[in-house]
Amino acid sequence: MYDVWKNALAEIEQQISSANYSTWFQDTSLISTQDGDVKINVKNTFYVKQLQNRYYDIIKKALENNNVKVNTITFEVQASTKHKVRPREVIRSGPSSISDQINNLRGSFHPQSSSSAAKTISETGLNQKYTLDTFIVGSNNDLAFSVAKSIIDSPGTRYNPFFLYGGPGLGKTHLVQAIGNELVKRNPDYRVFYTPISHFYSDFIDAIRNGKGKEFYRKFQKLDCLIIDDFQLIVNKDKSQEEFFNIFNDLYQLNKQIIVTSDRLPSQIKTVDERLASRLTWAGAFDIQLPKFEDKCAILRAKAEQIGAEIEPEAIEYIAENVNTNIRDLEGEFSAILLMSDVRGLTPLELIHNGSVNVNKTSKMRPVLPKQVVDKVAKFYNLAPDELKSKSRVSHIMLARQVAMFLLSKELGLSTNKVASEVNVKDHTTVMHGIKKIEKCLKLDFNLRDQIEEIKGQLYG
Amino acid sequence: MRIKVTQEKLSKALNAVSRIAIGKATLPILNNVLIRVSKKKVSLITTNLDMAVEDYLPVSESEDGVITVPAKLLAEFVSNLPKGENIEITSKDTKVTIKAGKYSSVINGIVADDFPELPEINEKQSVVFKIGIEEFKNSINQVMVACSNDLTRPALTGVFFNTYNNTLAIAATDGYRLAEKKIINKVESEVKAIVPASSLQEVLRSISDDIEEIEISFNEDLVRFRLGDIEIISKIIDESFPEYQKLIPKNTNISVTLDREELIRVTKLAALFARSVGGSIVCEAITPDAFSVKSIANEYGENDSRIETSVDKPGKINLNSRFLLDALNALEEPEIIFEFSNRIAPVLLKNKKSNTYTHIVMPLNS
Repeated sequence: MYDVWKNALAEIEQQISSANYSTWFQDTSLISTQDGDVKINVKNTFYVKQLQNRYYDIIKKALENNNVKVNTITFEVQASTKHKVRPREVIRSGPSSISDQINNLRGSFHPQSSSSAAKTISETGLNQKYTLDTFIVGSNNDLAFSVAKSIIDSPGTRYNPFFLYGGPGLGKTHLVQAIGNELVKRNPDYRVFYTPISHFYSDFIDAIRNGKGKEFYRKFQKLDCLIIDDFQLIVNKDKSQEEFFNIFNDLYQLNKQIIVTSDRLPSQIKTVDERLASRLTWAGAFDIQLPKFEDKCAILRAKAEQIGAEIEPEAIEYIAENVNTNIRDLEGEFSAILLMSDVRGLTPLELIHNGSVNVNKTSKMRPVLPKQVVDKVAKFYNLAPDELKSKSRVSHIMLARQVAMFLLSKELGLSTNKVASEVNVKDHTTVMHGIKKIEKCLKLDFNLRDQIEEIKGQLYG
Repeated sequence: MRIKVTQEKLSKALNAVSRIAIGKATLPILNNVLIRVSKKKVSLITTNLDMAVEDYLPVSESEDGVITVPAKLLAEFVSNLPKGENIEITSKDTKVTIKAGKYSSVINGIVADDFPELPEINEKQSVVFKIGIEEFKNSINQVMVACSNDLTRPALTGVFFNTYNNTLAIAATDGYRLAEKKIINKVESEVKAIVPASSLQEVLRSISDDIEEIEISFNEDLVRFRLGDIEIISKIIDESFPEYQKLIPKNTNISVTLDREELIRVTKLAALFARSVGGSIVCEAITPDAFSVKSIANEYGENDSRIETSVDKPGKINLNSRFLLDALNALEEPEIIFEFSNRIAPVLLKNKKSNTYTHIVMPLNS
């Protein structure tokens, strides 16, 4: 449901000015499309007339282009979706009571020997504990998830190759292995092979050494779906990269599904050949982002439900709020607290309140003074601190200044006014603009991301 | 479109409507004021899509038409013209000419088609209250101190208009304190609506000396304030307000009557020392006849002041000095009642004689 509206919005965005689009459509969502009676949720009552009178036809057409039947469109102000918290569903198949869930989960840890569908790990390289049922969908990954579902329905067609990228511990491996498992489950004869790129190499080298290079190549040629994990670790060895390139091309020509994960875009990986890099993102690159607070809560709640543990909502919120790195750490902290609560005989919340646990997984290691941040940033960009704080509009000085603002605000949590006085700019609006700009750049510019990570490393290291 | 009007009238009307048009809206036309002339009726309208202000302008001559003009520019231009001038505004296509004696300027406007259509109050289904302007102003100010500006909890960023026991009351809370004022007795209709504090502030700013009464009409998702020629419509925050009546303590152990001015003075004194400890001060009722306000700051020293009063039972509580001062400033009578039970129950503050205003403050952990 949500995706249809996203597609429709993308279409509407093309047709009207961006100011109009961001004013009128930013906070809209689709409530229902039952029997052609489309209901759209808007921010407040001021938006109703405008959308009704000016944009009705555009909306109708955009929805119809996305195969939604439209008789009437009504606009409603609904409180529930005005929150930042969107209802999130834990996707399940079949039985859904907690005990069933636990049994399912236990079952999935051991390959079911009775079923012919279960291929052994060595054959597919897949770990069967990764399933779509246990993948929690939130705003950080809903796009990637819907692509995954469409691949399962029709592999090797629209999203081929499927290039998925995002930071460590955000669920890339989970998602791609789940695709593999689901494909095998639907068609036991489907040949899926999952391998991290590093294993691909060592296997390749072994094969060459034993004079079985051709066999190696043939083994891959026979596959229906190839999943390559951690692609960023690709080595700059012409021969092996060429081998991968050939395999990739052959499979692609035969319309076999190829799935690749990486922690960054191919064009950002220095060791990748350009021809390969451009091919990998033919069908687009999809990212998994850091989960937002609500997503983290949803993940923890689902996790608690899966293992049948009791934990107070406040404790979940506490953990979600304090772990800001990735999902792996989030689940790690969560298990640690549950374990400790078992050992000590206190509930998780009591543990948190009496200070026995100290969850604080942010990138902050030790307190840093604002001045240190400014100095480090200046040094990193080869500027004198005073130069950074000057009014200069030269682009590299401006960038340094904005990075400093970004770090002061995000890492030290200074107010925008404080930041303004630290870097000697006019007022807080300049700071807000700077932070916004860096945030925007971070999404696209991996160089900048690396630079900021490096500065952070220097600050806390 | 053409209108002829005196500088004073136009300037006043522009000032009333232009405040909300000077924003950071992404849509340029929201920075404009819509001038609409239809059958001798001239209105100036602005909106920021959370609220809209409309002012009817009495003019001497007019010709029908609509146009939008950058609100800030027009307001500033007109306010700098000499008083007593007759101003003539005419529009041709998007060029708006403003003439006043020997002064004249041409401003580029935007066609009115792009101006958002505003929602309207459905008069038949609306619930209407009329309140004396002084009463309204004081009451809103008294409860608005307790509003939150935490946008993640939208329900607390507004003032809750609600009816119970045939009384119209308004309330606001930020989770640490709560203020309630009963405005009208014996109301027949029912309303439960959270009006954004920002809209109410705009209403308060629009009150001028010649207005005696305000009319408030509620629809399901819209509220309209009518003050003389000015109409302000605002969205209603579509959230449920906490059931605040439960938070107001019914019985308290300790009740002390205090001189308000005196308590404000000693709280301010204590607040000076309390700065380094987050504004935390200690209020203590001491039998038989003293109320003490203390603050301790390790670096600077400490402060202890006493007010004479009669005390039945002793007790002690930690409060945030700023919250206490806000509450005391919102109370109006010379003598007030300070009630509390124990270290964790809320403090109840009210006027000694009238019981329409209630303010509660949560204590600080000590």
